[in-house]
Amino acid sequence: MTDFSDDKRLNAILDMIGRIASLDFTEMLEVSEENDMVDAISLGLNMLSEELNSQVVDKKILHEVNAKLEKFAYTVAHDLKSPLNSQAGLIKLLELTLNPDPNSDIDECITKLKRMNEKMKSLVEGVLSYSLAQSKAIEKEEVDLKELVEEVIEIDNFNEKADIEIRNELPVVFFNRTGATQIVRNLLDNAIKYSNKTRCVINIESEEKNKHYEIRFIDNGPGIPPEYQEKIFQLFNQIDPSLKTDSVGIGLATIKSIIEASGGKIWLNSKQGEGSTFIFTINKK
Amino acid sequence: MTNSIRETEKIKFWIGDDHILNIECKPKTTMTIEEGKLSTKLCLELVQNEPLPLLCDLTNVVKMTQECRKHFAGHDHAKVFTKCALLINSPISKIIGNFFLGANRPLKPTRLFTNKKEALKWLKN
Repeated sequence: MTDFSDDKRLNAILDMIGRIASLDFTEMLEVSEENDMVDAISLGLNMLSEELNSQVVDKKILHEVNAKLEKFAYTVAHDLKSPLNSQAGLIKLLELTLNPDPNSDIDECITKLKRMNEKMKSLVEGVLSYSLAQSKAIEKEEVDLKELVEEVIEIDNFNEKADIEIRNELPVVFFNRTGATQIVRNLLDNAIKYSNKTRCVINIESEEKNKHYEIRFIDNGPGIPPEYQEKIFQLFNQIDPSLKTDSVGIGLATIKSIIEASGGKIWLNSKQGEGSTFIFTINKK
Repeated sequence: MTNSIRETEKIKFWIGDDHILNIECKPKTTMTIEEGKLSTKLCLELVQNEPLPLLCDLTNVVKMTQECRKHFAGHDHAKVFTKCALLINSPISKIIGNFFLGANRPLKPTRLFTNKKEALKWLKN
């Protein structure tokens, strides 16, 4: 017969709290039919244990599904790289063999094929980068952001395409170097790609806050309408999905993934016609 | 005086003259998913697919399973009522009510009351 003396019941409650604290949701408290305060607390703990258990299980399933999806995306993208490179080679061979007259129908078709192949390659590269973004938050080192920005500008020849100015001292942060490079490269590349001015101007600045640094990339581009300002950080979301730009809608999603995996945030201040400011945070050590 | 009544072993359902759907549980009621679904079915019969304000007295309930709470917070049960006042005048019903609002988050406006007059006043507003 169940012993419902007060001491026993209170001890059982203490044990239950201990189990919940150690994420052990296997046991339930017995509830008498007294409908008193101790019963109410016992039932409350039972329900809390059930709810927490459901959430832990749901989270675990979600993690497993996400991991499988990321692996799948990586495998598909990786396997598509090789046939796309072969395709690029065949298009080139076709062009050399046919040697079409400039502006002829064949020339136009080959140019379109090339553009589509490049777009597919960008998409595949983007999916690969996105799949790897999470792991880029794991291995961290000291990164001098000013040095890194200057390095990216030089390697990618961004100075030929835009006037880029670092307005103040950028901090030395504890971050993954490859991830940081990708953030800087994608933000500069986006500002240049979507610029509608004769000369694209990009200013980079930083501000030290209590627990993090805020880094801003300010451009003089067309600006982004309010309805797109959240969407552009989602995978495969673009303002202009046409073939005119070589964007595939992965760059900003990758940046967001890298930043969020490191505990930071990214957002955008922009008014149509007045340029955009992309702001992201990097936690201090 | 009442217009329509339904009754199971554990629960009584009726629509009052004030067009409020009433649910009252018998002493030491344990609510499982089966009873939850039966309640919804009987309520739908009573309201004839026209949702009404609901006064539900949980005072005599001694247990409500997780599945049952989810069901009462979900779409199927939301077809029964426009807003819901839960009467909680026992320690256990107080815990169940608070848990229901906090963890399950019903789709339609739901509030806890210890005073029936105040519950009715809110339902009629």
